[in-house]
Amino acid sequence: MKRLKKDHVLPFLKVMNKTEQVYCPQWVEGRDLILMPLGEGEYRGDLGKTTISAKTVLFPQAEAITSFRTDKISKIIDSTGTLVFGIRACEMKAIQFTDRFMTRDNLIDPHYMARREKMTTIVVACNKPPSNTCFCIDAGAMPYLESGYDLQLFDAGDYYIATAGSARGEELLANSYFEEGVQEDRGKVEDIKKEALNSQHNRPGVERAIDALKEDKPDEAFWEELADKCINCGGCVYVCPTCTCFNVYDLPSQGGYIRYRSWDACLHAGFTRETSGHNPRPTQWSRLARRHEHKFKFDIINYNESGCVGCGRCSDACPVGLGAIEIVNALNKL
Amino acid sequence: MAGLAAAFGSGAMTNSVQEFEEAEVFFVIGSNTTEQHPLIASRIIRAVTQRDAKLIVADPRDIKLARFAAVHLKHRIGSDVALLNGLMHIILKEGWEDKQFIKARTENFEQLKTVVAKYTPDRVTEITGVDRDSLRKGAEIYARAKKAMIAYAMGITQHITGTDNVISCANLAMLTGHVGYPSTGVNPLRGQNNVQGACDMGALPNVYSGYQPVTDPECRQKFENEWNVTGLSDKIGLTVTEMIDAAERGEVKALYIMGENPVVSDPDANHVARALRKLDLLVVQDIFPTETTKLAHVILPAASFAEKMGTYTNTERRVQLSRQAIEPLEGTEQDWKIICEISSRAGYPMNYHSAVEILDEINRVTPSYAGITHDRLENSWGLCWPCPNKDHPGTPFLHKARFTRGLGLFHAKEYIPPAEPPDEEYPFTLTTGRMSFQFHTGTMTRRIPILGREAPKAILEMNPRDARRLRVRDGSMVAIESRRGELHLPVMTTLDLPEGVVFSTFHYSEKNINELTICAIDPVAKIPEFKSCAVSIRRI
Repeated sequence: MKRLKKDHVLPFLKVMNKTEQVYCPQWVEGRDLILMPLGEGEYRGDLGKTTISAKTVLFPQAEAITSFRTDKISKIIDSTGTLVFGIRACEMKAIQFTDRFMTRDNLIDPHYMARREKMTTIVVACNKPPSNTCFCIDAGAMPYLESGYDLQLFDAGDYYIATAGSARGEELLANSYFEEGVQEDRGKVEDIKKEALNSQHNRPGVERAIDALKEDKPDEAFWEELADKCINCGGCVYVCPTCTCFNVYDLPSQGGYIRYRSWDACLHAGFTRETSGHNPRPTQWSRLARRHEHKFKFDIINYNESGCVGCGRCSDACPVGLGAIEIVNALNKL
Repeated sequence: MAGLAAAFGSGAMTNSVQEFEEAEVFFVIGSNTTEQHPLIASRIIRAVTQRDAKLIVADPRDIKLARFAAVHLKHRIGSDVALLNGLMHIILKEGWEDKQFIKARTENFEQLKTVVAKYTPDRVTEITGVDRDSLRKGAEIYARAKKAMIAYAMGITQHITGTDNVISCANLAMLTGHVGYPSTGVNPLRGQNNVQGACDMGALPNVYSGYQPVTDPECRQKFENEWNVTGLSDKIGLTVTEMIDAAERGEVKALYIMGENPVVSDPDANHVARALRKLDLLVVQDIFPTETTKLAHVILPAASFAEKMGTYTNTERRVQLSRQAIEPLEGTEQDWKIICEISSRAGYPMNYHSAVEILDEINRVTPSYAGITHDRLENSWGLCWPCPNKDHPGTPFLHKARFTRGLGLFHAKEYIPPAEPPDEEYPFTLTTGRMSFQFHTGTMTRRIPILGREAPKAILEMNPRDARRLRVRDGSMVAIESRRGELHLPVMTTLDLPEGVVFSTFHYSEKNINELTICAIDPVAKIPEFKSCAVSIRRI
């Protein structure tokens, strides 16, 4: 275990930024906390919960994936090395989840994996939930991680206590900004974990909601009542750290075409509409149901793990109060 | 807007969006709120489903909101005045009017009473097609609530009787005392993010900013002083529809269009294109090529919202700051800089250095905007006008204790049928509108692939019974013809429409429904009757 003084975070990141693109939570005009390239906003040391998760680094809102010319078709792969500082345990868990999805059945998404392989992750565990919509514990995630990160930091006041979770993490700890820790740090980490577990009181009841779905309790009327409020903006999907559906389209570019992909949302009617015009999910309620069945039912069948990490971003973003928390609450009333 | 100005003295939403959360009753007329103002609609739905607020919907279509309505008044297109008079008739007959409010805060009530007396339920049922029970139920729910809000949109205004329709809404609100208090009022939901702001800034033929009339010598003097000029015109100019007509007649020689695409968005589009071709000079300032720039002699490439700083004034009169995110793309310029440059070259040097400096001037010359300064906007979510000084908190709802014009003015209106009712030759009524995935003529939204996927092409919606009679089904092509043009569109059947009415949107320039619509206009506001014209339909 080593220590990283909070005063040293920014100098450390600046050094790292010389060899890889550093991302960290930064404030924009004092209002929005956004995970963005170092220097584009204001780093204040308070990490909180960013509006959009680290998904945006690995799977940007829109990206070029192929270029077409009459004589040549070529894949566009961006393999810029990145270092992402200050992501939360829930986000890291979402990345692990997405990694599995993007390599499932040996069908590898080359655009995602090229970035993923060059990404270094520095997770900062939560002492307290950064917002009152956090429910990671209830969702079966945790405010800190046991594995799967490069580096994990615990907030001990003026400094972070750092533990490595990979060879890359060990390499980072060798950097001179990290100082030797003391024996008591180990106990301190245990105290922080205990505090983290005891301070999160938001328990919407994900397990019971999963059971309700397993038992097919919600009927059409249940979903219809919720979907009546949905304005079909797709915001919950865009901010979700595990949602990675995309739309593909071609735009003309210098005598050829470039194929792009951009975030898509299963709540839009066109998402499942077939060429014939037939739509297997023709109504807003059937799409809303499908989205939450995916997270809380099918993901459990496929991966033995829910697709929701309890970050609460959908509940933060939804303009009509229809995030995962509200859906879980409603399922619990069945 | 003219209607509300006449009744209350101020042409804007009387109350604010937040107040929808507290209302007991909503009367939504001529607004497909879930499609066009979804956040307001979600407040209405929440109120109805979670705290037993009541909703009255008046709309010829089975819009989504109708499912939540305690009563759905499915009146015939263009019969709004008759419907509203009919409701007022019942209210007066039952004694549900607010006598104290009428006495203390309004004038000309007797005239209203005389006219409304003629709109008996039987007669109203005949004109509107709405049954007596529904009329009574609607009247009772609205009149007997403590806090009831009227919300309307283009279904009210886009008729030859647009101003009459608005005035009738205002009459109904005053009759029942539902104006001048929180969660009440007459609330036009504006169709664009800044149409309120454009009107506030005097982008109208008759006023300077803040509705200061050009005919008022004091107002003129004030602007002459501010701009250091003399002889500002005291003549009221032309509205858009009048300019197009004048261009066709050869009376208007040059037109400078900013951020508008009238070749697609205005009624009787072939006539618009013909008129614009007659101009000696057409200048179009826009961010993308459009059907209108194709006819322009000069195109001025403007910067988009992300490339400039400024303010927008939304439907609830809230002025909000919009910050510049990126530099203007190469070859484009911010609108205010283009205007300054044109003005300077035309002989009146405009020397503004920033958007902030322009807002400073707005603050100086516009009483309702005097306190809406850049500093305050920077540190808030915006301010609702009127905001007369720097310490004023803004005004969420208007006409508290006193109407802007003093007393509220009742102005009785008689029912006038649409300009072009269906007949044997053109037996269907065509009504037009928008959907949430496209915006207006699509010059921006149709460049976004995912929106194109959601709403890819123009379709003609019709009742399945009409489709059966025409021997067409979903996806069949039909020729739809009016006295002004013909268009081929695929059919989509829907029970949302009554028989005899077909619906389409004006988002698709390659299938421009406005080639069919009629350029019959409201005599006061000069808004065209987009909501009704006669068409024939045949299978092809």
